[in-house]
Amino acid sequence: MAESMKAIKSRIKSVESTRQITKAMELVATGKLRHARERIEHSRPFFNVLRQTLVDIRHSNRDFTSPFTREPAENARTCRIVIAGDRGLAGGYNSNLFKSAGAVEGDIILPIGRKAVELYRRRGFEILSDEYAVAEDVSLGGCSAMGEELAKAFLRGDFGRLTISYTSFVNVLTQTPASMEVLPIKPEGEHSEKSGLIIYEPSAEAVFNSIVPQYISGIIYGALCESIASEVSARRAAMEAANKNADEMISSLSLRYNRARQASITQEITEIVAGSNV
Amino acid sequence: MDFQLQIVTPDGLLYDGPAQRLITRTTEGDVGILARHSDYVAPLAIGETKIKFADGTTRVGSSAQGMVSVTGGVVRLVAGTFEWADEIDIDRARRALEKAKEKLARKNSDYELRMAEFKLKRALNRINVYNEGHR
Repeated sequence: MAESMKAIKSRIKSVESTRQITKAMELVATGKLRHARERIEHSRPFFNVLRQTLVDIRHSNRDFTSPFTREPAENARTCRIVIAGDRGLAGGYNSNLFKSAGAVEGDIILPIGRKAVELYRRRGFEILSDEYAVAEDVSLGGCSAMGEELAKAFLRGDFGRLTISYTSFVNVLTQTPASMEVLPIKPEGEHSEKSGLIIYEPSAEAVFNSIVPQYISGIIYGALCESIASEVSARRAAMEAANKNADEMISSLSLRYNRARQASITQEITEIVAGSNV
Repeated sequence: MDFQLQIVTPDGLLYDGPAQRLITRTTEGDVGILARHSDYVAPLAIGETKIKFADGTTRVGSSAQGMVSVTGGVVRLVAGTFEWADEIDIDRARRALEKAKEKLARKNSDYELRMAEFKLKRALNRINVYNEGHR
């Protein structure tokens, strides 16, 4: 009996130390979540202004043409930006995203996050760049460089369609994987009233074309911030569940430990009583 | 005469207040904007922005990407990156310059080459503006 008591005790200890780790990870994720949400808020006005300008230009010129609004040819390739996490231990965050991204053979992939780089390399896809292997380290500067380059590649005809797969942050409890089409661009929305009277230099089309790359960067940056927020809240939820499980395990193990202790005491008493009766 | 100037970047609103004059670099060259400018939009290039505030002081900053717009007398500098000369992290810019040079020297894919070139330009501009502001 004493042997089993020792075994239970050491198991309790090991569960407790695991619980400390998951608890710490939960706290870290909570802190990062706040930061990620702040980033989304700060960047919003900037990209809204760009978007409004695109809409205004689109509506002020009746014979508007831009290579960025061109419909893709039938055999055009698709470039997919896939934003995943850098680490596991976040529930189904990564696998849900890969399932919904649905890349098919012949697609060009721009993976963001270590998990995405690993997966698409293993599957043998054409990878544009593996520079963004750490999603958390991708800065705004990185996104704008991406936007510029993707826009140029689109104009060159490297691909006819650009989509982005990310995890949309609905709230702390719900994150859903989503995909959206970035190029060809479809600026829609209310245009401001005076849009016909603005001087565009050098020309409306040129302004439109030079804003598009940054607008793309904006979409990427927004998707990245949302994905990071989703990742940390998925991890937080996973860690919370792990904590709960650890608590349950500890309490059931303690119960077993106490029973074993009680049993060994009872047995000793029985032995003593039996001995004194002789 | 003053006009309202807003500097909007993805990191938030950097400045919102009166100014006398704004000189910035667009893809078509440097433009100066004074009060009562007609409605105007132009994309920004990597370059220097000089702002003369209402009290007559001048500040220099480095700007890249985005656009400058005038709507109804409000001037918006919507820049992808914007830093005042005295807030530029010069060591970081120098490091970025070295890194970009290194990358350019190596034989990389087209994509990475162009990326390095872009970063090189940006780093050079930051260093120039920094030197301008610290003369």
